Amino acid sequence: MVSAIAVTIFAAGTALAAAPSVDAAIEPSQIALGESARLTILTSGSGTLSVSLPVVSGLEFRVVGQSRQVQIINGAAIESTTTIVRVTPDVAGIFTIPGVTPKSPPLVLQVNPSTGNGSSSLPNNGASPGLAPLVPGGSNASGVRLTPDGSAFVRLEIPKHEIYVGESIPVQIHVGMRDGFVASINGLPKLNSGDFTLNNLSHQPERAAKVIDGKPFTVLTWRSVLAAIKPGTFSLTFETPLTVRIRTRPQRESTLDDLLGDPFLQNIFGATVPKNVTVTSPEAPFTVLPLPAQGKPPDFSGAVGTFKISTDISSAKNTAGDPLTLRLHVNGTGNFDRVESSMLGADAQWKTYEPKATFNPADTTGNRGEKIFEQPLIASQPGSHTVPALNFSFFDPGTRRYETARSSPLSVMVSPSAADSAASEPPPPSAAGAPADEAHTGLRPDHAAAEARVDSLIPPYFQPRYLGFSSVLALLFGGGWVALRRRERNAHDIQRERERLRLQMTRTLLEQMAAASADGDAAVFYNCARSALRQTLSARWQVAPEQITIADVDARLEGSDRDDIRQIFALADEANYSGGDLQAADLEHWTQLVRRQVTGEDPS
Amino acid sequence: MTRRAPWGVLIIALLMFGSSSHAVQAQAGYSASALYNLANAYARGGKPGLAVLNYERARLLDPTDPDIDANLRHVREAAGLPPESRNGFARVAGIASPRILAWVGVLGILIAGAGAIARLYYPRHRRKLLAATLLGISLLGVTIVSGVALWPIMHESVVITHAAPVRVSPVPIEEPLFVLPEATIVSTSAQHDGFVLVRTSTGRAGWVPSSNLAPIVPKQVDRRRKSG
Repeated sequence: MVSAIAVTIFAAGTALAAAPSVDAAIEPSQIALGESARLTILTSGSGTLSVSLPVVSGLEFRVVGQSRQVQIINGAAIESTTTIVRVTPDVAGIFTIPGVTPKSPPLVLQVNPSTGNGSSSLPNNGASPGLAPLVPGGSNASGVRLTPDGSAFVRLEIPKHEIYVGESIPVQIHVGMRDGFVASINGLPKLNSGDFTLNNLSHQPERAAKVIDGKPFTVLTWRSVLAAIKPGTFSLTFETPLTVRIRTRPQRESTLDDLLGDPFLQNIFGATVPKNVTVTSPEAPFTVLPLPAQGKPPDFSGAVGTFKISTDISSAKNTAGDPLTLRLHVNGTGNFDRVESSMLGADAQWKTYEPKATFNPADTTGNRGEKIFEQPLIASQPGSHTVPALNFSFFDPGTRRYETARSSPLSVMVSPSAADSAASEPPPPSAAGAPADEAHTGLRPDHAAAEARVDSLIPPYFQPRYLGFSSVLALLFGGGWVALRRRERNAHDIQRERERLRLQMTRTLLEQMAAASADGDAAVFYNCARSALRQTLSARWQVAPEQITIADVDARLEGSDRDDIRQIFALADEANYSGGDLQAADLEHWTQLVRRQVTGEDPS
Repeated sequence: MTRRAPWGVLIIALLMFGSSSHAVQAQAGYSASALYNLANAYARGGKPGLAVLNYERARLLDPTDPDIDANLRHVREAAGLPPESRNGFARVAGIASPRILAWVGVLGILIAGAGAIARLYYPRHRRKLLAATLLGISLLGVTIVSGVALWPIMHESVVITHAAPVRVSPVPIEEPLFVLPEATIVSTSAQHDGFVLVRTSTGRAGWVPSSNLAPIVPKQVDRRRKSG
């Protein structure tokens, strides 16, 4: 409470002798509730004097201005200070205001119950050091409560003070700024209550020039929608941050300002300084009623207002499978943000989708307008179908009861899909027997349909039957080729292995021949020589080694090779039965013979 | 005797395949001429979408028919659609009907397989048999190229309604991205809840109600169901 604030006024003392004195007066002494009176405290004399604001229950004291004057009388300087205090009652009654000093007499203020008019209670005497013509802190004839310096005001304009929870009412917020004394507006109007919501505040206010009490004002008006969120009795205010210019020139020099007239000229001459202030509107009382629980429809979604509904559909004739659009139009006034509809539910006739809502406001605040719900529908079967009626429930604050609006059912004729008949149904006939129209004269003539028909348009090589057959065919050929190729390779491998084993055995026999030669064992020598020759000849003749006899040698070989090999075969038989001596020259001869036959090289 | 058994199986399979195909052809179904005449009728009736659809189907059966190409080009021009461009694969596929090219592929497999096996038995004729094998592989390659060229058509559809709205998702709630004019050919890739995901020749994609489209190559199941 401002009344609890003690303000100390220091009267700068001088060297001159003058006893300080304090006079206080309140004007008028009788006001109505909602108005303010002005308490003027005049201190004069030299020295320091402390003055405290009185504290009275039910009265609010707020210092709205101060001025200081110094007078020279007979060479003595007498300083006087005038303090303007706005006194605003909270309740009606007769109040006794104690003196501002112990020696000051008390003052009496009579506050009558409100009469409803907004007449100004303060005289417009120019006592304020800021703006002389306007009365600070009070209300003027237009019901406007100005800031203490008289430079601005905020006013709330509402259609009614009793609303329901969720109900939206349009409000107008007026911010008046005296021309030249408000440097800037530093923000949008702000709601000082957590019990209400302010929606759709217009970003660009309407601007108008008005003259209030003879002074030019620029009035900015914001439109919005106010809604209460809980029941009860509340009061709300709005505030707006502004930058105003405060006059710094003493009151005695105010005549210069009056001479300058235009505030712009006053600013040029350095008479004002900028100051950030927050302007608050008078409190607006509200009674918020709860929505009745009785009679609430099951589909009530919270819509409060006055609404009407209608439905339409995108086409009364359609093709099966093609989507239709069912529209529900909700027109009226109210909280459209709570206007909801689930539209049509799915049934055997219709396949439905989630509806989409769009809102077309009819005013800037969105309190009036039309909300359209669009729901796609698809008829599952051709034939004659009916779109059922739709319901919409809301609470009407005018009738103070719940209402349910109902639309009319719609009929739709659904024809079979074109895709179903694309390949089977005959095309729509052009004029029978008539020539083709001009746009199609370039068409080549029809063909005689004589060729065989196929069951499917799918190319054969994409059909499983073809793919399976060709795959089996390719696998058979591929598998056969691989098998044959592997068999051929295996045969080569066996032959190669035999050759390797033969060469290995031949080398072993040659080594055994050398060993037998060293030991002088003729039987072993000649047997090894014969075996080595048999291995060689068996590979050459493709017969088993043990089957090669002297007769084969005689039959298949010619020349000196035959004689030498035949002799080795004979010496081997002879050595087996009779032993025999080995001569070194003979061994060398036979060894070279065998080596030549085995390797095919001439050792010499 | 055992070595000749696979060849006997092959001959029997070939005969069975040929007889079953002949039996299919004898049944009622599609023919290039019937589809071409149907497309002409739709074109004269002012339905370019269904006309283009049936021209495309007719061309699938008989790609060598110049009348089909001419009338298709004429209808597309009349509908304000740009002329279609065919790549090299499509030109190869257009040298014969897919049915003939399918048999060419079978013949290619036979020649290539027989040539490859004969090379193992007759080494003296390896070069001649290698040439035969390469010839068979080439014939099979023609069939494969035709299949590659026709594979996209298996997933193409024609807009058969006056205009087909294309949406970003398969629900008809939001505003369409763009609208496809009638007779436009689009490639399809997915289906969901009565919508088909399409892509245009310019690369734009979206969902179209399936009732606005008709596939150039209807599925075998659909055909049987409809005919049934």
